[in-house]
Amino acid sequence: MTKLTLNRRRFMGTAAMTGVALASPAYLRRANAAGDEVNIWTYNDFVPEAFKKQFEADTGIKVNVRLVDDQGKQFNLLAAEAPNPTVDIMTVAGHRFLQFIDSELLAPLDTDRLSNWGNINPTFSESDWATINGNKWGAPILSGMEVLSYNTDLVTAEEAQSWDTLFSEKYKGQTAYIIQDMMSIVMLMKGYDGNMVAYMDDPDKAAAIVEEAKQFLIEKKPLVRKYYDSGAEFQQMMVNQDIALGHSWNGPAAALINDGFPLAMTIPREGSYGFVYTFNIANNAPNADNAYAFLDAILASPEIGASMTKASGFISTYKGASEYLTDLERKSTSFSEEELANLQFFRAEANELKYGLVDPAVEAIKAA
Amino acid sequence: MSSDASARKDPSGLAGQPGGLTAWGRLVAWGPYRALADFTTASPRRQFVILAAFPILWVLTQHLGPMLQMLRVSLTDAYPVAQGVEQSFTLDNYLRFFGDRIFWMPFFRTLAFAGVFTFCTLILTYPVAYFLARHVSRRNQMLMLLLLLVPFWVGEIVRTYAIMILLGNTGAVNLVLKWLGLIDRPIPFMYTSFSMGVGIVYLTALYMLLPLYSALEKLPKSYNEAAADLGAGAWTRFRRVTLPLTLEGISSGCTLVFLISTGFYATPVLLGGPSTTVFAETIAGFFHVAGDEWPTGAAFATIMFLAALLITGVFQRVMRGLRKGDTG
Amino acid sequence: MIRGNRIFLSCAYWAFVLYVFVPLILMVMMGFKDSKFIGFPIRSWTLDWYSGVFADAEVLSTFGYSIAIAVLSTIASVVVGTWIAVLLERSRFKGWGVMFGLTVLPALVPGIISAIAFRIYARYLGIEPGMGAIIWAHAVHNVPFVVLVVMARLSTLPKSQIEAARDLGADPLVAFLRITLPYLVPAILGASIFCLLLSFDDFVRSFFLGGYDPTLPVLIFAKLKSGMSPEINAIATVALVLTAAIGIWAERFTRRANKDTN
Repeated sequence: MTKLTLNRRRFMGTAAMTGVALASPAYLRRANAAGDEVNIWTYNDFVPEAFKKQFEADTGIKVNVRLVDDQGKQFNLLAAEAPNPTVDIMTVAGHRFLQFIDSELLAPLDTDRLSNWGNINPTFSESDWATINGNKWGAPILSGMEVLSYNTDLVTAEEAQSWDTLFSEKYKGQTAYIIQDMMSIVMLMKGYDGNMVAYMDDPDKAAAIVEEAKQFLIEKKPLVRKYYDSGAEFQQMMVNQDIALGHSWNGPAAALINDGFPLAMTIPREGSYGFVYTFNIANNAPNADNAYAFLDAILASPEIGASMTKASGFISTYKGASEYLTDLERKSTSFSEEELANLQFFRAEANELKYGLVDPAVEAIKAA
Repeated sequence: MSSDASARKDPSGLAGQPGGLTAWGRLVAWGPYRALADFTTASPRRQFVILAAFPILWVLTQHLGPMLQMLRVSLTDAYPVAQGVEQSFTLDNYLRFFGDRIFWMPFFRTLAFAGVFTFCTLILTYPVAYFLARHVSRRNQMLMLLLLLVPFWVGEIVRTYAIMILLGNTGAVNLVLKWLGLIDRPIPFMYTSFSMGVGIVYLTALYMLLPLYSALEKLPKSYNEAAADLGAGAWTRFRRVTLPLTLEGISSGCTLVFLISTGFYATPVLLGGPSTTVFAETIAGFFHVAGDEWPTGAAFATIMFLAALLITGVFQRVMRGLRKGDTG
Repeated sequence: MIRGNRIFLSCAYWAFVLYVFVPLILMVMMGFKDSKFIGFPIRSWTLDWYSGVFADAEVLSTFGYSIAIAVLSTIASVVVGTWIAVLLERSRFKGWGVMFGLTVLPALVPGIISAIAFRIYARYLGIEPGMGAIIWAHAVHNVPFVVLVVMARLSTLPKSQIEAARDLGADPLVAFLRITLPYLVPAILGASIFCLLLSFDDFVRSFFLGGYDPTLPVLIFAKLKSGMSPEINAIATVALVLTAAIGIWAERFTRRANKDTN
């Protein structure tokens, strides 16, 4: 009995030691990072590994990346840490700014401290959504848009020119969309302002429009295969041929195209919305100076922008980044001029009004 | 297993191996230990206090603490609070649930799904556990049980995607059916309550299997033989002997599976269809979309929690009644 | 009749094995697919995804990190859970129902709620996010499962054994260590497997309470953002083989230890 206990104890000890030994690189990294560091929350592949190594070697600032997979989770995490966050830089989508700003989670960005600010295409850096309360709040890095993606073996390019195809009897049970995003697009299809900025002074009109869009989607519910959430789900449905066409962001679709899948995407003639991922500095960031150094460095060259595009499938906001892409990569990340003319950016001004109406509508559609 | 057997062989516990006796004897005879033991067992009351103090402290600080925080949030009008804003308390978040039927649907659906899936898991795993415990030699039992546990080491998400490529239109099942010439067009299994059920039972089977197995395993074979001697048929033996004696295992397995399946989020979201939204998704929506919805999310979570508590409480009571009815 | 039963039951077992293993086999197989996405058809095969896992220091240290968290939180859950189970099963006191309710509370709370509640509470207690916080949250969350399993086993322990030991002069602690604990070993081992699995598989608590080192599910979620690639299948397969190897080694180790003493 005594021996057994001893053996068990030895076994436990060995097991624990093995665990610690296996995990030790992580601790070593942390121990070394005690001095100069910058803490970043971002999506997988948004900070290129080669750039990170170079930056660490050049400046001696240790870059700690924490991977996130969702805007809402970042917000919740940051809200739980406020007012003394552990993070310096987050990755917020431009149209989500207001929510973060209202909760005092973001610090205004001092663009004078970024000598490479001018390397960003002004379409993104000087756009209407980028300035709120007279301040800039983030450095644009990648841009995405809502597109109609279709399997070219099953759907014609002609059909894909309109969002209506998504709701046609012909493709019953072969379509999918993100329901929140689709609400904005349906408003656009019906000729309204999907950002709802135009109705900020007329809540009744706004409510009527959301109601109309909601009724439309409920009526079309028998035709849809899946209301999905993440790009990975969309890709899997395409690969499994569970769907023939669907609404998606361009990033996940581009990744499928680059892998040789018979897929194409369009910005339909009724129009669509785009958004921009930005790097933001947290309010009360513990290493704000390092954060500025990091931002300036990552904006330094279009090559860095191109490598972010290659990894994520989203479009770089850097001037001249596309010169560093292959033909296929360029094809999967570019649109014709007339398509781009139909594109608008998401705006945050009316978000409180909009999502106050849209969120319950989404629940109602799901419950219908 | 072997320590179990040795405990049974050795009911006194003190007359075990000679080595054990000396070690334990020495400990019991050791002065300071005696003093400590005498002190702690001086009265039943003191003994109880010492036994109970740590658990009570633990559940109050560790189990109740986070929940009270959540309850507090569910009663506020805004959370997280921006600096300089006055926070006030309200019941609106709870009233919102009762005010709108779009919230009841996923709520009752979740409870119904959890009930149905729990039942399916029970029906599927009972024969498996029975086979393992009664028809497999002791040597192989552990091995065959471990075989079933292997897949549970793979994370929920990865397993769920594996089910997608199993059931998709170009998935393994459809490929095999096509190859056999049974179908021309793929059967759309995915994004229905069927695919959701396949995924959830896959995740919960283990939590049913282990309690059932341990209940069946300790059931003496002689009971069944005695019943057979008395002329009882296989079905009667199962219904009158095996089933009542494994009610304990069934009850704890079902409770566990029901609780776990009401909380599932990722699997129903990934495998379900447009009309299978579960309540966890509704709740998560309040945390994903906008910050000021936390209180509503917390209130809805509290409602879900109370409902699950009520149901498992009733279920446990019914099972207890059944057990009493059968033995007494 | 008996024979027919046996055949039916063995079919049920093997059908179940099939159900459990087919998705697993698909998962392992997709790790060899030469494409960025899993699924059929598979046009060409590659070993790159698997060799990539072993070359990726981040993935490897994540394995170790997750295993260490699982083991340490399980030890804590088992100690606390067994203690509570003994209290609940042995004594009937005023407020027993309340105590039982509070005990199973953490298991009843939906994942995202419990994660956020833990996060807020951790800040209130001053626990820094990181390994310690994750271990704490996993330990608390897993206690109810230990309690339920151990209580079920404890309720079948014949009272006469304890009484016999007490008659022979054993005090409650010795009686517990010599009679009750050995009798509970199968339940404790079973509960440990539960806890290890729950901890190893947990995403939402690990995400909210973690620091800058991801656990395995957190890493997989982040990678999933850029698509369900065979790389994730390869990582999961390697994790499976690794944990299975450790499990088999532990099982043989304890078996040999048992043999030594018998």
